[in-house]
Amino acid sequence: MAFLDNSGDIILDAVLTDTGRFRLAKGDGTFRIAKFALGDDEINYTLYDKNNSSGSAYYDLDILQSPVFEAFTNNTSVMKSKLISIPRTNLLYLPVVKLFDTAGKPSKTYSTLNTYICAVDQASQGNGNNPGSNFFQTSTSETAANEGTGILGGFDPVAGNNFIEVNQGLDTLEIPPTFTIDSDLRETQYIIEIDNRLGSIVNANGNPTPVSFVDDDNIASYFITQATGPGYILTDLSTDAGAAASPIAGPRGTGLRFKIKSSIELATSTFLFTKLGSTTTDTGTPARNFYFIDTIVRVTGATTGYRIDIPVRFVKTTA
Amino acid sequence: MATVFKTLTNNDVASTRTLLHEAIPVTGTIVSGTYVGRENIKNYSHGMFQSVYDYPYLSSSANHIFDITVGYNSDSPLSASTSTQNAKKINMYNELAQVLVGHDSTGSILKFDQDGDIASGGQKINEAVFVNFARLLNKDEVKKGSFEIKLLTGSNPMSASSPLTISDYQGTVNYRTNSPAGEYGVLYTSSATTNSRSGVGLIYYQAGVAVITASVFSSNPLGYGNVVNDYCPFATDAVTNAYVPGGHYKGLITVLTASSISGASDGFRNRMMNVQFNNTTELNSTIYFCRANHNDFNYSSNPTYLSSSKIRVKDQSTDSPVSYITTVGLYSADNELLAVAKLSEPLKKTPESELTLRVRLDY
Repeated sequence: MAFLDNSGDIILDAVLTDTGRFRLAKGDGTFRIAKFALGDDEINYTLYDKNNSSGSAYYDLDILQSPVFEAFTNNTSVMKSKLISIPRTNLLYLPVVKLFDTAGKPSKTYSTLNTYICAVDQASQGNGNNPGSNFFQTSTSETAANEGTGILGGFDPVAGNNFIEVNQGLDTLEIPPTFTIDSDLRETQYIIEIDNRLGSIVNANGNPTPVSFVDDDNIASYFITQATGPGYILTDLSTDAGAAASPIAGPRGTGLRFKIKSSIELATSTFLFTKLGSTTTDTGTPARNFYFIDTIVRVTGATTGYRIDIPVRFVKTTA
Repeated sequence: MATVFKTLTNNDVASTRTLLHEAIPVTGTIVSGTYVGRENIKNYSHGMFQSVYDYPYLSSSANHIFDITVGYNSDSPLSASTSTQNAKKINMYNELAQVLVGHDSTGSILKFDQDGDIASGGQKINEAVFVNFARLLNKDEVKKGSFEIKLLTGSNPMSASSPLTISDYQGTVNYRTNSPAGEYGVLYTSSATTNSRSGVGLIYYQAGVAVITASVFSSNPLGYGNVVNDYCPFATDAVTNAYVPGGHYKGLITVLTASSISGASDGFRNRMMNVQFNNTTELNSTIYFCRANHNDFNYSSNPTYLSSSKIRVKDQSTDSPVSYITTVGLYSADNELLAVAKLSEPLKKTPESELTLRVRLDY
């Protein structure tokens, strides 16, 4: 008679992240582990071979043989993709979060760089009436129609018309957008992360939002819900087909719209530009020299854990 | 409702305490200064002790092993104004005595007692060699009953024959608690007759300090009482040529009176053949039972999990979802990642399986 396999329990040694050590050192009671999540950062699901002729035991052979990294202690470097708990097992589609990067839309990225350009001071942004028109323009005329595509008025976000928008839903052509997404897959809360040294998050109207917390790496997290205030979460996404209506091809959940306000340090100093960035010259007329810092703003759906990294370039004219 | 976090309840958290032991062998070749020019032995301008490293101490790779010093109290017959560093030797004795033995009711510093029975008086250790082990080796404490030091106590310092083994025999069951510095045991010369006459030192477990009476190098009687003669000659400098009485060697009394502390420490080091003990590290752990029930964590937010929003591991909706776990993240209530644990290989999770991952966080 064989022995029963009692190896169901697995003991793992955990290491504190830098944030964990930081909170432990503060000694103010903020170091309290309250929940857990499971991650699969190393897994490449494209290796799942459903058509393997050797049988189902071989479908995930390559995945199970994937080597696993040691733990990173940088809290921003691990648990980038989390496992999701959904009681139902009959789901064939899961929602994604996509950038509304469609031509003609105020959330279109700057064309040649596929990034958002955030002007950090008055000289870079323009006179305030036509934000962004001083930047990356083929014309020096500051008219409303000349507001640069993909240019965010970081110095005065209230005046700018451009913003960043993401939509959430099932990005498939197999289900028409007129179908309603299941309520348990609908995002009601988003988390926006941005380097706190560079900028902060404001809503589409340019009004500031209190930061939820700033970690030891200067990454600020903003938890955005309906209660955060108007101008953030879009609950009435269009059900029209086509990219002009939404980047999501199928049923849509919610959207998130926000702007970035550049930090005072970027507006008043070139220190961070020389430390974290570089200088370059645009191709406009006349050409301008400017400092820039490339960074990303991360948007995560709190319900599904799906995340998207949005590239942003902070710019400041050298003149 | 889809979710990526699972809350830990009180039933999912347990605290444990584990004692971890490591064997620490220190060979005499390191202690005697095996490196050219004794580069692993560090002397200080204050001359109150010397430090022994496992590698030339100027290297960043060097680890501090222990400090060594000698001293006697003012009642010792060796105490005299003519003795070299007389005040410093008394000061060293008193400093260690007041920390390890404490004070009497009048505030006077108590002397090291041979059998630890301070209240009853008895034989005191008036001249001693002190070996202070570094916290790197000692950790939280020396494991009781594991300390052993071998000394070359013969008349010829070049001969390694018949080393005297000193150990805290019976330390696990017979140790003292009347020290302000924690528990300590008596170092005996023999496991067979552990009586007061065989006691030649004390080992302070938590402090990591061995106190060895200098009389252990005295021949009559060996190891007991005060230093009475020059039986064991000491090599007190770097010269390691053959033993020539009256050459580079000094007798025990001469070393303690006419040599500096560092010189006497040199002599003692060259008489050390071996030291070994087990250290103890007290690990306080919290174990988090991360339970993944059958309907938990079966989907993934991994970007490769979907192709045009369709789950790659499924062909039709009736197929079971599959996910693979590589990481467990422990979070605060405000979703900050506080600790991470990694699996050695991906772990398959399906609705047909339930898992309990025991994640241990040590403090």
